Amino acid sequence: MRPYKYVRAQDVDGAVATLAEAPNAAFLAGGTNLVDLMKLEVMTPDMLVDVRRLTSDRVEGLDDGGLRIGAAVPNSVLAADHKIRSRYPALSQALLAGASGQLRNLATTGGNLLQHTRCVYWQDVTTPCNKREPGSGCSAIEGHNKNHAILGASEHCVATHPSDMAVAMAALDAFINVQGPEGERRIPIEELHRLPGDEPQRDTTLQHGELITSVDLPPVEFFSNSKYRKVRERASYAFALVSVAAALDIEDGIVGDVRIALGGVAHKPWRATKAEEALRGEPASEANFRAAADIELEDAQPLRDNAFKVPLARNVITRTLLDLSEEGR
Amino acid sequence: MTTTPTRTRPSASRTRGGIGESVGRPDGVPKVKGEFEYSSDLHVEGMLWGATLRSPHPHANIRSIYTSDAEAMAGVFAVLTHEDVPGRKVYGMEIPDQPVLAWEKVRYQGEAVALVAADHPETARLALGKIRVDYEVLEPVTDAETAMSEDAPKLHLSGNELRRVDVRHGDPEAAAEVVVEGEYEVGMQDQAFLGPESGLAIPDGEGGVDLYISTQWLHVDQDQVAESLDLPPEMVRLTLSGVGGAFGGREDLSMQIHACMLALHTSRPVKMVYGREESFHGHVHRHPAKMRYEHGATRDGKLTYVKANLIFDGGAYASSSNAVCLNAATFACGPYDVPNARIESHMLYTNNPPCGAMRGFGAVQVCFAHEAQMDKLAEKLGMDPVDLRLKNAIEPGMKFPFGQEVPYPAPVREILGRVREIPMPDEQEAMGRDLRELPGGVSNTTHGEGVRRGVGYAVGFKNIGFSAGFDDYSTARISLSIEDGEPVVRVYTAAAEVGQGLVMVQAQIARTELGVENVVVEAADTRTGSAGSTSASRQSYVTGAAVKEACEKVRERIFELVRDEFGESDELAIEDGNIISDGREIAPLMEILDDGEISEIVEFHHRATHPLDENGQGDAHFQFAFAAHRAVVEVDVELGLVRVVEIATTQDVGKVINPKALEGQIEGGIAQGLGLALMEEIRIQDGEIQNASFTDYLIPTILDMPPVKMEILELADPEAPYGLKGVGEPPTIASTPAIVAALRNATAMELGRIPVRPEHIIGIPKKPPDELPQPESSRYSGIGRLEDRRET
Ligand SMILES: Cc1cc2nc3c(=O)[nH]c(=O)nc-3n(C[C@H](O)[C@H](O)[C@H](O)COP(=O)(O)OP(=O)(O)OC[C@H]3O[C@@H](n4cnc5c(N)ncnc54)[C@H](O)[C@@H]3O)c2cc1C
Repeated sequence: MRPYKYVRAQDVDGAVATLAEAPNAAFLAGGTNLVDLMKLEVMTPDMLVDVRRLTSDRVEGLDDGGLRIGAAVPNSVLAADHKIRSRYPALSQALLAGASGQLRNLATTGGNLLQHTRCVYWQDVTTPCNKREPGSGCSAIEGHNKNHAILGASEHCVATHPSDMAVAMAALDAFINVQGPEGERRIPIEELHRLPGDEPQRDTTLQHGELITSVDLPPVEFFSNSKYRKVRERASYAFALVSVAAALDIEDGIVGDVRIALGGVAHKPWRATKAEEALRGEPASEANFRAAADIELEDAQPLRDNAFKVPLARNVITRTLLDLSEEGR
Repeated sequence: MTTTPTRTRPSASRTRGGIGESVGRPDGVPKVKGEFEYSSDLHVEGMLWGATLRSPHPHANIRSIYTSDAEAMAGVFAVLTHEDVPGRKVYGMEIPDQPVLAWEKVRYQGEAVALVAADHPETARLALGKIRVDYEVLEPVTDAETAMSEDAPKLHLSGNELRRVDVRHGDPEAAAEVVVEGEYEVGMQDQAFLGPESGLAIPDGEGGVDLYISTQWLHVDQDQVAESLDLPPEMVRLTLSGVGGAFGGREDLSMQIHACMLALHTSRPVKMVYGREESFHGHVHRHPAKMRYEHGATRDGKLTYVKANLIFDGGAYASSSNAVCLNAATFACGPYDVPNARIESHMLYTNNPPCGAMRGFGAVQVCFAHEAQMDKLAEKLGMDPVDLRLKNAIEPGMKFPFGQEVPYPAPVREILGRVREIPMPDEQEAMGRDLRELPGGVSNTTHGEGVRRGVGYAVGFKNIGFSAGFDDYSTARISLSIEDGEPVVRVYTAAAEVGQGLVMVQAQIARTELGVENVVVEAADTRTGSAGSTSASRQSYVTGAAVKEACEKVRERIFELVRDEFGESDELAIEDGNIISDGREIAPLMEILDDGEISEIVEFHHRATHPLDENGQGDAHFQFAFAAHRAVVEVDVELGLVRVVEIATTQDVGKVINPKALEGQIEGGIAQGLGLALMEEIRIQDGEIQNASFTDYLIPTILDMPPVKMEILELADPEAPYGLKGVGEPPTIASTPAIVAALRNATAMELGRIPVRPEHIIGIPKKPPDELPQPESSRYSGIGRLEDRRET
């Protein structure tokens, strides 16, 4: 690990201002991701600004009936929150499917959203990686790429976003509240994470010094009929090969509205808008669910080792929707 | 000695804690509470921290090593390279071919190149970054088959073939009525012990050094360390410190010579602890294998011949590859009566990480293949797979294909028959089950949709102890004396307790033989003669026999004293600290011993073994152990997820010394077998490890581990102490093929490579077209299968 300075700011403004003046500084929340990466010297900030106590660590009701989740709410607390469990079950399930009990106690909402890819080439500083060193090349395209992206990748980067929580939030139309040197912003989660394009070094659309302060969930009734399913290589404590968060609204056997997001398949939580579009107003049948999944996956471009993710994603989408249609009837 | 008249005593009570009882582990509670002191916890005042610079390249010439910048750093006490190795510059258990510190060439990624000692681990690590090594990077040889070819670069002067063993038995032209062929592949498994390589070297101020270390074999370490330090062995003293698991991965040296070099160079104690990633580079792994098999049989299911070509990737250095190659050749046909065999076992040098000992040692890879072949043959013959095995089971008095007579006991038929009789687990309706009892478990992936059940059987065997002419022995010293008015037995050996429970076994034997409950098993060190390695399931047998015989000698000396004193001529015994004659207590030990100490040393050598001749024939092994497994699995064929529902096993152990410890060995061995079947693999690309962490190298969690039903046979081996057989490895051998057989049974897929992961099952069902799900069939059955049908 490289030597670094540790700073604890007094408030959000102070933290943002400190970072604004230190181009190589980073926010530290639970540290469960950042510190590991510093040990590997994949990330080498020269200053850490501890933000864990600066933002809210509570889940609160909003005037519009939605919920606001403070950026410092631990993953374990969020998963156990009864409002989340009853109104946004997919989110609670996603959190519980991630990491381990100890990690979830320490990990925060903000940190989880911004956790970095698990691409082994990105984590191995001895190999070329465009995300770590723009222009050096992508080792994964020709390497072991079974954990990599099938959707939205570029010739520069095929990494995936590892978060389970963010996939659920993507399906649940979350908004991210951010405070930065230029003031406050509210970003739909869809616009928080980026696809790699030709700037794979940028994971998100946040500017340096922008701090996530909270996440808002909208008051959508049918989100109580939502689910998260995760396929991983052992029974617990492993990242997703593919995961699905979905919410379904059915009336008289017809899909009124639907949300689908996929994890493990792209550089960001993948909102399956094409599949959603195909399903609205259609009968909630297995055939339609599968057809919708196929439409979404038509654009999939598997790599050498990850073609299996296409049928896998299709099967999990179909199953999750079937499950929801059964229960939401 | 004072003479007191014999008092009347209650009838003799039995000594507690002897063999056959579930004596608890002395280290059990401290380990669970996190209080056990592992070698990574060692600490002395004023110690320095050592660190190792490793090659980033799997194959390169070293042009120069520049250390001045590192040396100039504040807090750095030494920077050492190959030039500083005082004695032999290479080491190795079988063939000393591995540089203590590389010179001229590096042959695998992670090879040690230079050392640093500094006042803080972080200083040491930063200093490593200041050492400049100028490498000329070479094309690595990363595949054993490539290494075999004529034009592959020669990685060692001797060439790339590290070892070849041929077994030729019977008629090479034998023809069969029914033939099955298969190709099988085993990935590189890691021992995944939890305690990283670590130890502390303390210079004695007189040119010698004391090393506190986690290892499997103190004396083989001592010999190699002394050679490289150019010191007589008595100046290099080793003491075993808390070992956090081994499974074969601690048989070779890691930081032993390095820490001693740094300590002697700086005249300060030096501690070294590998990090997890470094540990993956710091020990050998299980050999990956590619195996081609052909089995011939008669139409009624008698084996006619077995032909096999086995190719093992030994990696960059020899380690124990020689013995693994021989083991694989001798076990290649399985525990079956095979009249004709042609086995070629090849071990190659490559630029991959070195491979060596791991639980099962060569038997694991071939068992996966020969058991798959037996299933294939059974299918072709339309026979039940267990019946086919029973029909061909080897028996005492027959000959193994490598020419050795099968000794008694060899209960292959019995363990197979019994494992089949163990009641099958209930099959509950999948819908509505507890999530944890479905594939995917708490990941919430199915309510039973797409789930199919399968059952598979396998049987395996292996030698116990070292083979093929190796003089395998153990030394034990037993002392009996009176301390604080109580008789106490002290057991001195150099045998490494690595978590398997030898400390209990030694104490249990001493209690049983000497009738004294208070037994102290002293820390293992090199003051006592070699105990041999804690590997090959051998310590209960070999060190157990040494302890037993030394106890017997001590006991005999006590009886002499008793006879002298009391003129007793009846048969004597000791129970619970009292001398017993004819069921009567005649005197407490205390009176007989008084202040005296009785001490005896025994060096126990087991029956000699012999090298194989050029046709792979010979009495190579002295004991064989057998276990059979039945796996019941459930597969979610749409998502590729597997749940092992249950493992049933029967194993012949000769004699149960400690029932709880035996259970632990069986369950732990099965967990490792399950890991190899379903997830454990070191992924290598161009000679570089891709997943050197426990986040990326997956081992089974408690949620992946099924309940195990076991049935234990106790058929005494007439040559072994108490008739016991080694128990550590057999559970690992046949559990893997049983699980894969069950997967084949559930999916009708070939599955010739392990580990079998979701991507191997999902989307590639090879069911005949007439079994395609019909549109109007059950709602869930058709998901995702039609389109994904691809012939690969
Ligand atoms: C062994 C292991 C297994 C895991 N398994 C899973 C899994 O299965 N599924 C899963 O989803 N996750 C998994 N994780 C990842 C885990 O969820 C993340 O490490 C955790 O959520 C990160 O939260 P944190 O608060 O510790 O973030 P930190 O490590 O503190 O920060 C992460 C990043 O976010 C930035 N940051 C933090 N807070 C803010 C903020 N408020 N505003 C702006 N930037 C911020 C930091 O600068 C840093 O770049 C695993 C982690 C480990 C170590």
